[in-house]
Formats: sequence, C-alpha cells, structure tokens
Amino acid sequence: MALMDVVSCVSHMSLTSKSIAASALVILLSIGVLSFRSTVRDEEDRAWVTHTHLVLEKLQAVLIDITEAETGQRGYLLTGEEEYLEPYQAGLDHVHRDIQELRELTSDNPRQRDAIQRLEPLIEARLAGLAAWMEIRRRAGLMAAAEAVTKGNSGELMNEIREGIGEMRHTERQLLGKRLETATASTRKMKVVIVLGNALAILILLMAGFVIHREAGRRHLAEQRLEKVNEHLGRRTAALLEANSEMESFSYSVSHDLRAPLRQIGGYSHVLVQDYGSQLDAEARRYLEKVQDGARKMGRLVDELLSLSKIGRQELSFEETSLDSPVRQVVEDLVPECSGRDVEWRIGELFSVECDPGLMKQVFMNLLSNAVKYTGKREHAVIEVGTTMQNGERTIFVRDNGVGFEMQYVGKLFGVFQRLHKARDFEGTGVGLAIVQRIIRRHGGRIWAEAELDHGATFYFTLGSPENESPKKPELAVNHEVIHA
Amino acid sequence: MPSEVEILLVDDSPEDVELTVLALRRSKICNKIQIAEDGVEALDYLFCRGSYKDRSFCFPPKLILLDLKLPKVDGMEVLRTIRADARTRTIPVVILTSSKEQNDVIDGYNLGVNAYIQKPVDFEKFSDTIRQVGMFWMLINQAPPAGQAPLARASTAGGSVPSA
Repeated sequence: MALMDVVSCVSHMSLTSKSIAASALVILLSIGVLSFRSTVRDEEDRAWVTHTHLVLEKLQAVLIDITEAETGQRGYLLTGEEEYLEPYQAGLDHVHRDIQELRELTSDNPRQRDAIQRLEPLIEARLAGLAAWMEIRRRAGLMAAAEAVTKGNSGELMNEIREGIGEMRHTERQLLGKRLETATASTRKMKVVIVLGNALAILILLMAGFVIHREAGRRHLAEQRLEKVNEHLGRRTAALLEANSEMESFSYSVSHDLRAPLRQIGGYSHVLVQDYGSQLDAEARRYLEKVQDGARKMGRLVDELLSLSKIGRQELSFEETSLDSPVRQVVEDLVPECSGRDVEWRIGELFSVECDPGLMKQVFMNLLSNAVKYTGKREHAVIEVGTTMQNGERTIFVRDNGVGFEMQYVGKLFGVFQRLHKARDFEGTGVGLAIVQRIIRRHGGRIWAEAELDHGATFYFTLGSPENESPKKPELAVNHEVIHA
Repeated sequence: MPSEVEILLVDDSPEDVELTVLALRRSKICNKIQIAEDGVEALDYLFCRGSYKDRSFCFPPKLILLDLKLPKVDGMEVLRTIRADARTRTIPVVILTSSKEQNDVIDGYNLGVNAYIQKPVDFEKFSDTIRQVGMFWMLINQAPPAGQAPLARASTAGGSVPSA
C-alpha cells in the first residue's frame, strides 16, 4: 500500500520535483556510504591500537614469566623443597606460550620479528642456566649450587634480555603513538562526515518540504479551478436539461395538437367526398382530394419529425447484435412492396457489433426502402448490402443501380427536408436520411454517399464502437445471397 | 334492453367525437354510444351521480374509449378511478389518443388499461382502426357478465373495495 502511494506520488510529480527528489536520493545514499566507510575505517584503526597494546602487554608478560621462573628456581635452590618447582614450571610454560603469541602478534612487523629472533636464544640460555643450577642443587646440595650461581654471568644475560624487551617496547610505543594519531584523525573525520551528512539531509528535507508545500499550493489552485469549471458545467447541464425537457414537451404538444386538426381536415374532406361526392363536379372533387393528400403528407411529416427528435433524446440500449438479422427482417418487409418488379437482392454476410438493434433496423429500413424507391424505374433493379474496409475501418455499404444523384448536391443529402428529386418523380418527406445520420452518429459512426446521376448510389457507414476497429473480414464480402423478388 | 349503452366515448374534441361516431356507425357495429366531454362527466356517468343519478349500475357500458388529454379530470385519473372501484373494475377500457409518448403508454398499462391505440391522422386508417376496435371488443371478445357479477363477488368478499 505504502509503496503504491509512493509510486502514485512519483508519477504525479512535476519534472523539477522529480529531479530534486532524484538528487536528494543520490546525496542521501552518498552520505550513508561515506558514513559507513569512515565508521569501518575508524573501527580498523582502533583495532590496530588495541593490537599494539596487546603486544606491549605480552612483552611485559614475558619478563614477568622469566622472573616467575627465577623466583621458583631460587626458592628451590635455597630450600630444596619440591613445592617451589611448581611456580618455576608455570613460569617456563608461560614464557613459551607468551613468546609464541608474541611471534604471531608481530608477524606483520619484520623489525619486531627480528628482535624476537634475537631475544629468543637469550631467553633460552637464561632458562637453561636456571635448569642447570637446579640440577646441581639436586645432585650436590645447596653450597655447590650457590657456588655455581656466584660463578655464572646470570646478571649480564638478564640485562640483555631486559634491554631487548625494552627496545621492542620502545618500538611498539612509537607505533602506538602513530596509530593513536591515525585513529583520532579517522574518528574526527567520521564525526565531520556524520555532522555534515546530517546537516545536508536536514537541508534536503527542508527543500523537499518546500517543494511539497509548493506542489500542494498548486494542486489546491488547480482544484479550485476545477471546482469552478464543474460548477459552470453543472449550471450548463441544468440549462441543457431544461432545454431538453422543453423540447420534449414541445414535441408532445406537436404530436397531440397538430395531429388532431390534421385528422379533422382529412376526415371531414373524406366524409364530404363520400356523402356529397355525387353533388359535386369533378373539379370540386379533385380539390378535395388535394386537401386530403395535403393532410396525409403533413401527418407523415409530423410523425417523421417526431421520430427524428425522439432519436436525439432516447437512451440507446446497446447489445451485441449480428447486423445480418435486421437486414434480413427489412428485406422480408420490403419484398412484398416489390411485387411485379424485377429486383435482385445481393445480401453479403455482415458482422456482429455493439449497437441498438431497433435503431439499426431503422437504418437499414430507411436505406433499403430508398434503394427500392429510387430503382423504381429500372427494368432490372439490383440492391446490394455488404462490408468493405475503408481507411482501416469496417464499413457497411448499401448500393443500388437506381437514379442516383449529382455529387455536387451530396452536402444536402442528410439535411432535414432536403430532397434531391422532384416530388412528382419520387415521393418522400426528406427526413429519412436525416434520421439515418442521427442514428449512425449516436453510435459514434460516420455515414457518407457516392453516386452518379442515373448510375445508382452507394451509402457507406461505420459504427464507431471500439470493437469495430479489429476487422474480421478485410475483403469485400463475396458470398452473396441472391433473392429475386 | 334496447336503450342499453354499449360504448362510452370520452373525448373533449367535438370533431374527433363526430368522426369516431361516424366511423363506428358506418362499420355498423354499434349505435348506442354515450359521449362524455370531460373526465368529470365520464365518472358521473359511470358512477351514476350528478346529472346521471337516475342511471343504474346494472347497465355498465361494454367498452370505454378514453382520450387522455381531457379538461378537469384527465384520462389517467379517470382510468385510475375506474380500476379502483369493484363496480367498474372489469369494464374494458381502450385508450384512444393522439399521444404515443412512452410514459403515457407505460402509465396506462400500469393502471390496467386493456389496449392503447394512437389515433391515426389519416381518416381512412382512423376509421379502419375504430372499426377493428369496435369489432374486437363488441363482437369477438367475451365481455364480463353484465354489472351484477363483479358486484356480487365484491360483496361476498366483505364489501370492501380493494385498491387497484
């Protein structure tokens, strides 16, 4: 969770903040490494100081060991009692052990190693001397031993040993001085590193705090701005909703109030023709028929305008639908209208798509009934539905070999009440294609047309939902199903 | 009974009333039509009150043709009242209106209307529609037993009037 927070924080930071954060990270890491290294160094230096102390101590111990052996030996010489042999023996053991340790301790220092080499024979000679006198005491008694001691040069040998050890201690003390100095220096350095590092870390923290504060300020400003925009949007949405509901009540009253008088015009003129037709002359009956035609036409217009406005308002109910089924239904509805005509239906295989099935049926109904209408004067009409790829988009086309239109008027094709043919030639309200375009647009798609006067027209449309972008059938559908009406 | 009303037509437009009556008469389905020009009059007639207080509950109309946009009490309210009363609940009601607003259709069926028909603008289609409606409800459909049956059942249930 915390890691996620950090990641999301980082991804939201500005470029400056990111570079500051990155350098802060590098500096903090360097401080850590430096502190660690100087601590390790300090520890090493202190270990050397301890080592030197140990050597000094051992040197002292060797002297004490020899003295211990001497004391034991002297006791034995004077008393001849075996109990003095114990300290003597302990002294001997200690001397050998301590010298061995000393040798190991000074293995890094050639000078001290040499000094030990020189010292060892002297110590051995001294110890051999002690052993020899004890042997004399055991065999020849106290007087003989005293004589041997007096004659021997034991004092001189012991002096040499002391001098040797003294020299070594001197050397070691000098080393100690140097090492102490180094250790003090590295401790000082470590302190400097730690103090400076911490100061730097505090500085970085302060900077980070400043940056965060600034970013928070900016965010706050942005939030305030967003809030204002939202407020504005809310007001606009409310206004739009109001406009929409006004439009709805308008279309309701159009539907109700306009239809009633139309029904009266049509109804009464109808009754008039039926009941009093015999009393009227032909011209009067023709006028009345015109009145009825007008009422009928206006009724159709009102109905189509209502369905156009309804498509703009209604919620689309999307579901995965194979476009084959609405096409099939529409063709089945239209085939009876074409009785007595030679119409060839070429229906290619279409695809499945997320759409409002009812509205898609209306699209095909309007396009195909147009095709039926505008091929009305062809001896052999061909109406084709299929898919093709246009600019990488799956596109559906509806093609006919009817009267077509001039491409210079293509811009008017989808406008409400726009007609490219005379009412005398082809009946229509000029709303059908506007409805088709509105449905296609509400599906996020596009519609366009290509035509040539007297050589048919082709309508293309796409449906913009994301599924449509992965084409299943890149080629023009070829397996046409031919239905002859 | 010869004077028995077969259809109650509730519509405030005299022209629509005339055209509807014309269509019904011409199809020779029904001659006994009672007109109510607003919701109050329709309810007065159905519940035998006001200027219809001498009428009897025993002879309810066989069909009510109901417009929605009516003065005083609108069509939906009339429908609600008819369906809320055990004495009138079983009378078939067909909404015959200019509106085909989805909400009206849904509300109508929720209140228990038997059919919802939009008046066609074209008179030929209009008379054909009226003829079919009359044919179905007056001749083809089996109507509930006249008047007494629902009343009797309601009184055996304790006389209380369950709400629709």
